[in-house]
Amino acid sequence: MTEFSIIGKPIAMVDAAGKTTGAGKYTDDLCLPGMLVGKILHSAYPHARIKRIDTSRAEKLDGVVAVVTGKDAPTPYGILPVGHDEHALALDKVRYVGDNLACVAAVSEDIAEKALELIDVEYELLPAYFDPEGSMKAETDLIHDNKPHNIEKDYHHVFGDPDKALAEADYVAEGRFIANEVTHAAMEPHSALASFELDPHTGKLGRLTVWSSTQVPYYLQHKLSLVLEMPMAQIRVIKPLVGGGFGGKSEVIPLEIIAAIAARAARAPVKITYNREEVFWAHRGRPRTIIDLQTGVKKDGVINAVKARVVQDGGAYCSYGVVTILYSGALLGALYDISDIAYDGYRVLTNKPACGAMRGHGTVNVRFAFESQLDEIAAKLNLDPAEIRRRNLLKPPCITINGLRVQSYGLPECIDQVVERSKWKERKGKLPRGRGLGIGCSHYVSGAANSIIRSDMPHSTVNIKIDRDGGVIVYTGAAEIGQGSDTMTAQIAAETLGCSLARLKVVAADTDLTPIDIGSYSSRVTFMAGNATLRAAEEVKKQIASAAARKMKCPPDELVFRDDEVYRRDLGGEGARATHSEASASGRVEGQILRGSLQQKRKDEGPKDWMTFEEAVVAAIDFHGALTGTGSYAPPPEARGGKHKGAGVGPSPAYSYAAQVAEVSVDEETGEVTVHKVWAAHDCGRALNPVSVDGQIIGSVWMGLGQALEEEMVWKDGMLMNPGLLEYRSPSAIESPEVEPIIVESIDPEGPFGAKECSEGSLAATIPAIANAIHDAVGIRLRECPFTPERVLTALRAQNKAKPINLTEGVDPTAPTRFREHGGALWFRGKGPERHPLDPARQKATAEIGGDD
Amino acid sequence: MSLPEFKLLLRPRTVEEAVGLLAKHANNIRVLAGGTDLIPSMRQKLFEPQYVLDIRHISELKGVHPRPGTGVEIGALTTHTTLERSDLLRQRYPVLTEAAGTVASPLLRNMGTIGGNICLDTRCLWYNQSLTWRKACGFCIKKDGDLCHVAPGGTKCWAAFSGDTPPALLCLNAEIEIASPSGMRRVPLREFYTGIGDSYRKLQADELLTRVFLPDTSAYYHGIYRKLRIRGSIDYPLAGVAVVLKRSNGHVADARLAITAVNPAPILIVGATQMLAGKVIDESLADAVGDLAAKTAKPLTTSALTPEYRREMIRVFTKRAVLAVANNESLVRH
Ligand SMILES: Cc1cc2nc3c(=O)[nH]c(=O)nc-3n(C[C@H](O)[C@H](O)[C@H](O)COP(=O)(O)OP(=O)(O)OC[C@H]3O[C@@H](n4cnc5c(N)ncnc54)[C@H](O)[C@@H]3O)c2cc1C
Repeated sequence: MTEFSIIGKPIAMVDAAGKTTGAGKYTDDLCLPGMLVGKILHSAYPHARIKRIDTSRAEKLDGVVAVVTGKDAPTPYGILPVGHDEHALALDKVRYVGDNLACVAAVSEDIAEKALELIDVEYELLPAYFDPEGSMKAETDLIHDNKPHNIEKDYHHVFGDPDKALAEADYVAEGRFIANEVTHAAMEPHSALASFELDPHTGKLGRLTVWSSTQVPYYLQHKLSLVLEMPMAQIRVIKPLVGGGFGGKSEVIPLEIIAAIAARAARAPVKITYNREEVFWAHRGRPRTIIDLQTGVKKDGVINAVKARVVQDGGAYCSYGVVTILYSGALLGALYDISDIAYDGYRVLTNKPACGAMRGHGTVNVRFAFESQLDEIAAKLNLDPAEIRRRNLLKPPCITINGLRVQSYGLPECIDQVVERSKWKERKGKLPRGRGLGIGCSHYVSGAANSIIRSDMPHSTVNIKIDRDGGVIVYTGAAEIGQGSDTMTAQIAAETLGCSLARLKVVAADTDLTPIDIGSYSSRVTFMAGNATLRAAEEVKKQIASAAARKMKCPPDELVFRDDEVYRRDLGGEGARATHSEASASGRVEGQILRGSLQQKRKDEGPKDWMTFEEAVVAAIDFHGALTGTGSYAPPPEARGGKHKGAGVGPSPAYSYAAQVAEVSVDEETGEVTVHKVWAAHDCGRALNPVSVDGQIIGSVWMGLGQALEEEMVWKDGMLMNPGLLEYRSPSAIESPEVEPIIVESIDPEGPFGAKECSEGSLAATIPAIANAIHDAVGIRLRECPFTPERVLTALRAQNKAKPINLTEGVDPTAPTRFREHGGALWFRGKGPERHPLDPARQKATAEIGGDD
Repeated sequence: MSLPEFKLLLRPRTVEEAVGLLAKHANNIRVLAGGTDLIPSMRQKLFEPQYVLDIRHISELKGVHPRPGTGVEIGALTTHTTLERSDLLRQRYPVLTEAAGTVASPLLRNMGTIGGNICLDTRCLWYNQSLTWRKACGFCIKKDGDLCHVAPGGTKCWAAFSGDTPPALLCLNAEIEIASPSGMRRVPLREFYTGIGDSYRKLQADELLTRVFLPDTSAYYHGIYRKLRIRGSIDYPLAGVAVVLKRSNGHVADARLAITAVNPAPILIVGATQMLAGKVIDESLADAVGDLAAKTAKPLTTSALTPEYRREMIRVFTKRAVLAVANNESLVRH
């Protein structure tokens, strides 16, 4: 008999049927009687003051029920307490092309769209900032008045004595790395449906219900309460099925609040679903990041200091920015043993959509730089890149120089596994020119030890209720967003209670029903909601055990709960139970087994040495009255990090570890890179559901591959040139390599059954593994991702001193001299066309305007 | 993004009926074949016709039909999937089979037609955007405005023709049949395109493309189509090269080369035929043909990737295609 009967087994997602048959309901599938469609008017200017908004013409259009603007919800909000800088609809200023101005609620989508054209907005144009390094020099026309030099936040951390250590280093590598901006591109666009109940007596608006494709129902409830000035108890947030989040739904997105304001004004339910372009504007993706990195090493490859200056192009609002820039510094620690670190991080505001949290939040771009540079160092010192990583391992349990506590640490095994399986020793550096192998490592938090809300509240709480027939309902606020949170919850509860999975029902993410959980982000759900589930289940189990033990005349801790039975440990084991286990012989119990007379008969039989789960439950309910339990989880104080400014971000109760080897080939004539295979080892503590872990590893590699080779948001003067999935190219099946997921189980002392993070940590290893493999293949070092064929070819030409390809020059003589300098928004500089009636240039810019670049 | 309102969806059953309706509503009507290009464009408000002429029910315009003694006739409504799967085409005109198989994605190939591919609107990053986007950016020559973002100061539209099958058809000396109220006419495909981005095809408002003819004289050429794209599936060509070639005694008897996605029209590079004819293909000849193709290409910032790179790829892809076709390395199995 194995240790566990439910966990550790590959189990299909409990919500798989709805998703695969199409019967499952996502927010946009929902419909209420009298529901209106909401459409949002977006700013046509990257930076402008709003002088006047006149909605009267739109309001008169047949079929329009309400038009709302910023003054309908003037309270600012933001996901971070330090970043309340957003208005659902702009009040005085717009800050990027696509910023939200007004919303029309109408009986149909086309009427709403038509009405948008009838809203007159008078702007006063302001100079706009598109480049973070330029923006940091701004003195006037700031994006937010209270942010001098357009710097949202800067941090300057020094741990140890990095200057001294660098001076003592045998070799110091130095370089600038750039990772361009990427977005989540979740399949399901954001969608929100808001509905007020009317008080039947007064006719006034009463309780509000919002259905939304969100990762964070409780934050949404909280921000709605703030902006709508309603008590949280009057607001119910329900999360239907969500078609992917990746961080893009991990904070309150304007449409969620706008739908509620519009529903309030229209006195009718309003649904808003973003089109893909609006999803790109809502964004909150990974910022373009400029990393100046210095790493000092001793001759033997031991790292003695790291200095990093990181500039993030954060877009127009704070969003999670302060956390992102802190993660970028904090996660320089906890992967390798580094004694001296200097970090200067700048989160800069620009007139583009806000960046936020995206899978691998804060760590991915810096990890790309670091792992690439480590590869350069290994080459310089003539060391095997896998070996240099082994020489810098942590010795856990330990607390890193920047205050991160590391307990379980599967990195050494991850490295060993990928090295062995890829036949690294035999093949690295020995493949024919054009083909190469590269390695990269990474790590990530299993949830943040300090929540973004400053309170002592547990991060997750779970309730369990068991019915008389042995049906178990788990109430959790954790948000299933496709990652398998409901399945994980069911597995942990079933394993703990020793009942079959079929008895489990998970009620999740409905703020009226489920206790508070701060949401699905920073890979916290398995660790935190999982621990809370475990504790809730143990509490109920204790109640069942005490009642069952009375019946069985033994101490409660003598009882074993397993496979829908409760039996005395001394009578346990396969043989003893096989004699009486007809009920579970089929291996599947659908809830009611022993009913009526049979149950009564068993009850009358008197003391016994085994009971079915259902019998035990009945005994417990008879004894306790009701069978409910609550469990919660708060990270232990020891895991909450140091005392320096910004120390709150980075600490986690446990870290996951990953190592990857990528095998690529490079076409030297075209610059095209093909990734043939990725060996991806991930230490997830314990794999509660191995197929799910495999899926997360493969998905992380795939998403990393996108950022490494194809994905990039292209900007010209504040216009996003590729706001659609045709032009924003995520990899398709054709270029997806074979991924060999390798699960490493370090059994964390605090994780539920030893489990840790498994859905983000692997992503960051993929990009440098590919970069390093490209270097192995053709000897070029790429320091800007994505490694598009033209970037690769440019580097190859530079290497061969062949005819260069100048990526900045147009071929046409009339074209601008520098490709990136000119852009669409020429009218913004007073040169616009006049012909079309809708042309904003007709509204005559008042002043002569100039941007920053 | 909703479809713009239109008065009527018209569904003719015959070519005459269709042409009659086109004439009646000329300038205020758009032809809908597979709709894979038209519908997204209408949502972006690039077209706001009062009438939409859905020609999908004209059954005579479907299918691949051998016409003994002259060649093969393809109805304008034949889908890419049908082209891809036609044994007749695979044997006689493999370059078309290859090109059709690279269009968009399998689902779109089930809907998209060869007629729609030939008539495909030219594309540009500053044009294929939503109304909201274009309004924010400033309208351009091709639609609603009077300047070009690609070549500021210029008055010509450079939007790139980005269809995959036309270069293959040009290599095959294809002709097209156009129906109008005054009857049918047949023109070489070569003469169909103008090379100007915003008036890219010679088709009057009351005209319908009905059939494509592939002459017998182009049958059984080896053929190859090479397409530059970033994403392995669902990507318009960022550059495309089609080559066909016939050999006798190891020498090139005849060859043709055409490029796409780097100019406002697909272009048959006539000089390539002269360069190749009578020769034995080797690296340096292939290189020279590549240089010629690159000279003809005039990519601008209409698409992803830089013009320089795309032009360079026309050179590389041409060289490779010429060598591959000489070695008979078509992807299509005979
Ligand atoms: C995501 C996506 C990716 C794509 N990728 C590619 C690609 O890689 N390569 C490629 O070549 N194409 C691509 N396309 C475009 C399109 O799918 C194909 O070009 C297809 O062949 C168009 O045919 P259709 O029948 O759908 O055209 P429609 O959309 O019906 O029509 C296209 C245009 O031609 C006109 N038209 C159509 N038929 C006739 C006719 N018989 N007579 C007169 N005018 C006519 C229409 O009025 C319209 O202006 C893509 C489209 C999408 C949406």
